[in-house]
Amino acid sequence: MIATSFIDTVYLLVYSTQMLTVTIDRSLQDSVYEQVASQIRQLVASGALVSGTTLPPVRQLATELGVNLNTVARAYRLLKAEGFLVIRERAGVSVAAPAKAIGPTERASGLHELRTALARLRQAGMKPDELRRLTQRELLAVIGTSEGATNE
Amino acid sequence: MSEATVVNLFLMVRVLIVGAILLVIPHITRKGLLFGVYVGEDVVKGQPGRQLLRSWRHRCLLAMLLSLVIGLGISVAGAPVAGNLTGTAVLLLVALVLYLQTYSKARKLVTPTAEGQAEIAVASLEIRSTREAGFAKLACAICIGTGLGAVAYAVVAYFEMPGMVPTMADSDVLGEKSIITFIIIPLLNLAVSPFLALVAVMTAGAKTTLRGGSGGHSKEAQDAFRVAYTNLVSGAALLFCAFLTLLSVQIVRIGLSEIELIHAIVSVGVAAGVLVVASATGVIWVVKRYGQGGAFRESGSVEERLTGSLADNSHWLMGLFYYNTDDPSMMIEKRFGVGYSFNYGNRKAQLMLLTVLALWVGLSVLALVGGMT
Repeated sequence: MIATSFIDTVYLLVYSTQMLTVTIDRSLQDSVYEQVASQIRQLVASGALVSGTTLPPVRQLATELGVNLNTVARAYRLLKAEGFLVIRERAGVSVAAPAKAIGPTERASGLHELRTALARLRQAGMKPDELRRLTQRELLAVIGTSEGATNE
Repeated sequence: MSEATVVNLFLMVRVLIVGAILLVIPHITRKGLLFGVYVGEDVVKGQPGRQLLRSWRHRCLLAMLLSLVIGLGISVAGAPVAGNLTGTAVLLLVALVLYLQTYSKARKLVTPTAEGQAEIAVASLEIRSTREAGFAKLACAICIGTGLGAVAYAVVAYFEMPGMVPTMADSDVLGEKSIITFIIIPLLNLAVSPFLALVAVMTAGAKTTLRGGSGGHSKEAQDAFRVAYTNLVSGAALLFCAFLTLLSVQIVRIGLSEIELIHAIVSVGVAAGVLVVASATGVIWVVKRYGQGGAFRESGSVEERLTGSLADNSHWLMGLFYYNTDDPSMMIEKRFGVGYSFNYGNRKAQLMLLTVLALWVGLSVLALVGGMT
């Protein structure tokens, strides 16, 4: 009995740290598909979801979240278009391998988005120091973790 | 022991079992739920929650006492069977009224924080294993195969029977043979047993309702409960199929004059006893080990709040029936009770339930109109 409880506890600890989740909040202004896409994007960028990882089928994720199938399908399609996911008919949805080199168009487009986002935050009242700290933290979340994952 | 004593004993045992179920159910649910309402984890632990539970206990005990007094009173007055039935009916009716009253009180305890939890849903990014449904699918195939076999056996045997066969009421009395008498139970078997197994398959795919921020603990607990419950329903489907197959075979054997009615009654009675005892033992085991939806294994994550459908009070009718047309899931954990409930707003679930209901009604009408002897 004690041994079973011990194994259960260890299993729970390991299991709970490994499990990745997606959370939606309908009270937010962002649409549900954007919330799903944003979190998966973040997980891929941070290295928590490595390339080749298979994601749940549309039906499973939609059922668990209690949302329409089209909502999850739309999020997956968006991430596919952005190069984060690969959708194959039989193999399902999996995380795409990162591109080896960035093209000039993607670089220009990304830079434009980054500048716009930073300008919006500054305009919204964020102080320069605060903006710097936020940028560093987000950068660390993406580069730091993914480098760590690569090294492992 | 007189007949009246036996009937009274049955009433007492039934009242005790039903009463025990009513007393236990509020204590096995997921934390945060109170009588079919998501009131929030703090409220359940707090004074209002405890007071509601205490009041439920007292009133259930009173209901048990009332039903016993009425049932045994009628029995003493000279009608033990009527007393038995009335006592049971009183208990069920009073329990329903008590539940609705308590549910209504629980609704008033909902906090704005708890109400807001319905807006949040958490899902795991792990792919669900298809092995969970393996036993249920096997049970489904066995039930269909056995059901078809029983139908074929009844049809073949019917044509071997003489024109006049022993009746089901008294095997010494002969009556004209009727295909309805021999085919109705195999058809019922073919309709109901695979449906039960199909429910098990659907249970394996039922949605999980995770707690925000501690998905791992919550998911593990629910997965363990779901696997155990799926296996339990699959086993019950197999036992039910075996019981109905035995019943249909024994009816045919009476028709062929191979056995006496009393032998058939004994064997079918034993099978029914095994079915009831095994199913009840299974339910008790699952509840004791896991709690409803794995509630007992969520320790470590009960401080986190429930999310999604279980926290969504607006889509539950009386805390018992889930109706959400926007939710693609067909099965969801019960809020009050043991196991899983259909999403009655789901088109596929509606179609499935209507089909089974139509089959059930159709077979009953066939049995009545066709003159089952």
